[in-house]
Order: sequence, then structure tokens, then C-alpha cells
Amino acid sequence: MSKKVAIIAANGGMFDAYKVFNIATAAAASDKEVQIFFTFEGLNLIHKQAMHGLEMPAGKEHFAEGFEKANVPAIPQLVEMAQELGVTFIACQMTMDVMGLTKEDFIDGIEVGGAVTFLEYAKDAAPTLTF
Amino acid sequence: MKIKKTLDAKGLACPMPIVKTKRAIDEINTGEVLEVLVTDKGAENDIPAWAKSGGHTVIEQKTEEDVLYFYIQKV
Repeated sequence: MSKKVAIIAANGGMFDAYKVFNIATAAAASDKEVQIFFTFEGLNLIHKQAMHGLEMPAGKEHFAEGFEKANVPAIPQLVEMAQELGVTFIACQMTMDVMGLTKEDFIDGIEVGGAVTFLEYAKDAAPTLTF
Repeated sequence: MKIKKTLDAKGLACPMPIVKTKRAIDEINTGEVLEVLVTDKGAENDIPAWAKSGGHTVIEQKTEEDVLYFYIQKV
């Protein structure tokens, strides 16, 4: 059984962030090695400013109340927890170049890499998930 | 049953009960028992699945007044 979980985060909304970080923290808490590859809009999730203002899908804003009522942790809190649990964050170099972003635009502790970096890690990971 | 440590995770939503259970089990020794209290209904299946993935044993599980109680023996 693989002890590795590989995740691609390719979307940048608040719901996307919960999908990514809930699975990542749950996997890490289950003694899995976890790596997340952030690409295109997914970079929002680890961007120093953007991660604090992730948007809900249009027309779904009323779920804000539900999030509060269910006592769901805020995204920055989940990100911190994921890092404490040893989840590795990799920002996609190519997307960063396209968007004019540098490593300093992101939270501390991330790595920067290309597609092959992720593929090499993911080749024996199970499951590999895309959000 | 001798309980070494109790984790009160009532009111917390997924994935917090699992993350906190993981941290709590790291603080006890092999063979010792962790008691976990949760109200997240997803935990009913999640905690046993988590225990299984780590090789721990859920020696007892019960529900009292909407609170789920788990007794997990560390592997």
C-alpha cells in the first residue's frame, strides 16, 4: 500500500481550497506523505494575500453562514495545520512566470518546481487527486 | 479500561477531529488508551477508518446524547 498521496490544486476558489486542504490534512494525520502541486488558479491557495480572501462560487455566498455554523476552520488555519503535519507545497514555476509571481509572493516554507517534479513524486503515490 | 488521555473535540468539523486525534495519540505510549469525544457525525466512520490506517484498535465506541465516544488503543 502506498504511503504517498499526491494532490494537484488547479483552482482558486474557497470551495476548492477546502477540498484540497481537508483531504491533505486528513491524509497527513493518517501518516501519509503528502505533496500538493499548486498550478494556475490553484496558486491563490498559498498566495500571501489571496488566501485570506478566497471567493465562493457566484450565487453560493449564502453558504458563508453554514461554514460558520459548522465551525469549519478558516483556510489560513488549515494551511498552517497542513504545514505542521509535514505536507509539502510545490508552486508551479511556469504558472508563476506567466503570472509574474515570485516565491516571496507565497507563504513561507513552499517549494517551487515544474511538472516533472510532481510527476516523479506522484508515480508511486495512491491516490493522486486533482481539484 | 484505563484511559491515559481524553481529547474533547466536540463542536469541531472535519478534518479537525482527525487532526487532533492524531496529535493526541502521538502523546501517549503503545498499549495506552485514548478517549475521544466528538459531535461531528462524519467521525462515526472517520475515526475507525483513521485508526485502521495507523494500525490502532478502537476497543469501544458508543453514542450518548449526540456525543460520540471512541476508545482507541495505540499500536
